[in-house]
Amino acid sequence: MLELNDVRLPGASVAFAHTFAAGEISVVLGANQSGKTDLCRLIAGLPTRASGAVRIDGEPVVAGPRHRPVAMVYQAFINYPNLTVAENIASPLKARRRAQAEIAAAVHELAAKLGLEHLLQRQPAELSGGQQQRLAIARALAKDARVLLLDEPLVNLDFKLREALQTELRALLKASDTVVVYTTSDPRDAFALGDEVVLLSSGEKLQAGAPIAVYTNPSSLAAMQLLSDPGVNLFERDGHTHAVRPEHLRVSTDGELSFDLRVTANETNGDESFVHGVVEERDWVVRTRGMLEALPGDVLRLSARHDDVRRFT
Amino acid sequence: MSRSGRWILCAYLVYLVLPLYWLFSMAISSNADIVGEFNAFPAAPTLANFAEIFSNPVWYQAFGNSLTYVFINTLISLAVAIPAAYAFSRYRFLGDKQLFFWLLTNRMAPPAVFLLPFFQLYSAIGLFDTPLAVALAHCLFTVPLSVWILEGFFSGVPTELDEMAQLDGHSFGYFFLRVFLPINRGAIGVTLFFCFMFSWVELLLARTLSGAEAKPIVVVMTRTVSASGLDWGVLAAAGVLTVLPGVLVVWFVRKDLVKGFALGRVS
Repeated sequence: MLELNDVRLPGASVAFAHTFAAGEISVVLGANQSGKTDLCRLIAGLPTRASGAVRIDGEPVVAGPRHRPVAMVYQAFINYPNLTVAENIASPLKARRRAQAEIAAAVHELAAKLGLEHLLQRQPAELSGGQQQRLAIARALAKDARVLLLDEPLVNLDFKLREALQTELRALLKASDTVVVYTTSDPRDAFALGDEVVLLSSGEKLQAGAPIAVYTNPSSLAAMQLLSDPGVNLFERDGHTHAVRPEHLRVSTDGELSFDLRVTANETNGDESFVHGVVEERDWVVRTRGMLEALPGDVLRLSARHDDVRRFT
Repeated sequence: MSRSGRWILCAYLVYLVLPLYWLFSMAISSNADIVGEFNAFPAAPTLANFAEIFSNPVWYQAFGNSLTYVFINTLISLAVAIPAAYAFSRYRFLGDKQLFFWLLTNRMAPPAVFLLPFFQLYSAIGLFDTPLAVALAHCLFTVPLSVWILEGFFSGVPTELDEMAQLDGHSFGYFFLRVFLPINRGAIGVTLFFCFMFSWVELLLARTLSGAEAKPIVVVMTRTVSASGLDWGVLAAAGVLTVLPGVLVVWFVRKDLVKGFALGRVS
């Protein structure tokens, strides 16, 4: 269990507290500059502009990074360039003076888990980006720390690798009783990996909870925006701001609520279409299944259900 | 490559190698042959000139003196510049940029400026005419240069690597010696090369700060011209031997040099 109290991230006007549960993956979701990296650095004890009290399993943690039970995977692929893959994985175990046989066994086990067995004698520079990040994850796991921080680990990977590694990560990280904190700016990661999602905006905690619960019951417009990709669509009714997600709009005339969208652009990837346009002088985007024939200048009649619309004051 | 291009390259090669060849050719000729008729190849090759150098203490001690202060200089420069460059690349402190620039400005003054202060100071504290005196004087130029070169390379290594070593549980010493220095081998090779070259060929400070005891080879070479008339052959042989250490240094650090001169393009 990782307890944070009185956390003040740079740019935030209020402090927050949060408790991360052991054996769960907590996805910290926030845009760039929202303080995700500072949060990780605070937990790891690295130099940062953030401040706050950290307790692990009830014990206050004040030691420097060298003596903290915390492992970390960086966004950039950071490995020891002069050591082989095997030596890299062994590094945290060596630092703790484990027996040779024990180290060798652990290295082989982790290499197998992360698909690096055939690369053990290579140098990190001879690996692909995906393999380099697998290596960084293997080394972090080798430390077998109480807390594992992953700071946007998949951002620098290309699309396909990211998808593949994401699925593996869930199985890999769930298998232990470690506190896993995974930061990202992609809402999909929250659903794919998270037992819990923590929404972070400008250094402040907006909301936390199970991803589906937060999705269905956002506490604020900012929280709803953060968990939506592309962004939510806004409209005014009775002096209140209402919001509806792009995936909750249908192109039809028979909904509970109707809108006229003047199309400005239409992007499709075959599987999904994103239609951009203007409704009541606000920019909207609609997400629909399959291909949608809509040209700029067309007017589409959209409908939504009352249950899918959120009202914010 | 075109035919004319090949010719131009060959001509350039001849232009570069000719002086070296001529030096070597003189080194294995007798004085009579050198001042006699023009010969493209030595008429009667002899090793007498080299024998003279290895048997005459004036010559071989001068080599010893030069190598001693060059070695001390390179050692001090690297020992001082590596931690300094690390600090400049990793920490922000009050006046760090100014300090860095001030270090560089030392490099901007011609050595002649420092002749008098060094001479006076070393005479006063009894350091005059020792290899250490010359080595320390050269440090004034090689240390800033080394810090400057190394800082560029060190800054290219992400700070996250330092942090990761800490998170892995390694001490700073382990990280620095087993990870940081090995991955900066190229940078250190380049720095070593520049320190060596500066100190080995520098004449002005070396001549002024050494008397009879610690006389360096470059000084002996210049004085031989005036003192013993025209001993061309021996002088040329000394020249050949003076070129050698440079060649050796380049040979040993050649792989690191290639990496180092690529200036970060090789990670």
